[in-house]
Amino acid sequence: MKRFLLSMVAAVVISPVLASAGEDGPTILDTRCAYCHNLKGPAPQTIHDLWKRDAPDLFYAGNKFRREWLVSWLQKPVRIRPAGVNYLRTINSTPHQEGKDGKKYDVLWGAVLKPLVHETLTAPEAELVADSLMKLRAGDELVSGMMVDKSKTVTLDQGEVLIDKVYGCQSCHQIEPGYGGYTGPELYTAGRRLQPEFMLSYIKRPKNWDPKIWMPNGNVKPEDLQKIVNYLILLSKENFDEAR
Amino acid sequence: MKPGKLILASALLAMASVPAVQAEEAYLNYKSYCMQCHGMHGKGDGVNVPAMNVQPRDHSDNKYMMTRTNTDIYKAIKFGGPAVNKSVKMPAWGDTFTEEELQEMVGHIRTLCCEKELIRGVNFK
Repeated sequence: MKRFLLSMVAAVVISPVLASAGEDGPTILDTRCAYCHNLKGPAPQTIHDLWKRDAPDLFYAGNKFRREWLVSWLQKPVRIRPAGVNYLRTINSTPHQEGKDGKKYDVLWGAVLKPLVHETLTAPEAELVADSLMKLRAGDELVSGMMVDKSKTVTLDQGEVLIDKVYGCQSCHQIEPGYGGYTGPELYTAGRRLQPEFMLSYIKRPKNWDPKIWMPNGNVKPEDLQKIVNYLILLSKENFDEAR
Repeated sequence: MKPGKLILASALLAMASVPAVQAEEAYLNYKSYCMQCHGMHGKGDGVNVPAMNVQPRDHSDNKYMMTRTNTDIYKAIKFGGPAVNKSVKMPAWGDTFTEEELQEMVGHIRTLCCEKELIRGVNFK
């Protein structure tokens, strides 16, 4: 009897492993990703719906991500937004943190203070899922006509001036680990994560992708838009591992 | 309750409840878009502030906020800081909010700074 029970337990434990070995990309997306991620669209249309979002929308993943980054991130997922996807859940006004001037500020709390909880895929699974994600292209129209002008180059210093002083992006986004605000996704990996055409289109008008998102339309001049995207690509080539 | 009174009461309730819904929307918008810099309670102490080189306005600062007209506040939200000679760190929210939401937001900010004056019926222009 004991042996029977053991074999039953073993069957229950091992069978998902065996099954997952044979899963294709769309099946993995449906069974392991769709619970938190929106794979079909549309994006939240009201602020109430936006606050219900648990994870980034993926229905335009094929327009957004660079495939090679997806493959590596899915095997070793780490947090990209210091305050999480939904910062109303992760900001607390008490207890306060003390600033340099002795002033008190709101703090991050809860889940974002711990490592990201996310599915970790094996290398073959990550390849399959990346392939499936790259087929989700609901934003084709928004990226058509977007092209990076590589002649609009900037140095890291010039780019930082644009990001900090001219458009104020750094209030919410970090341009190196720990340097910048918390509520937006980190910018120092943006060039590795995102397709340049997506960056151009998203920065130009975030609302086109996500109608109620809290990133404002910065009314970025066309030339500066090109410079910012070239800067983000340049910035992502820096090695920030030491600073982490 | 007499029918006349009932009608009057329900009419009053209807009048009162519309602004209440709007106020809730404005509060939620403030919490969603402004809180990250201006703070959960509008005291200019948002989570991003330690990373910023310009301090966001403390909306509960009655003395300062009373020197601003509603038009000033409206312009700052819609067109951003530079429209009222302030920092670019205050972005333009004109593409994010509808005209109605902008007006409601001005009203909400007045409740943070100037409740006494609101009750007194001060004209903020």
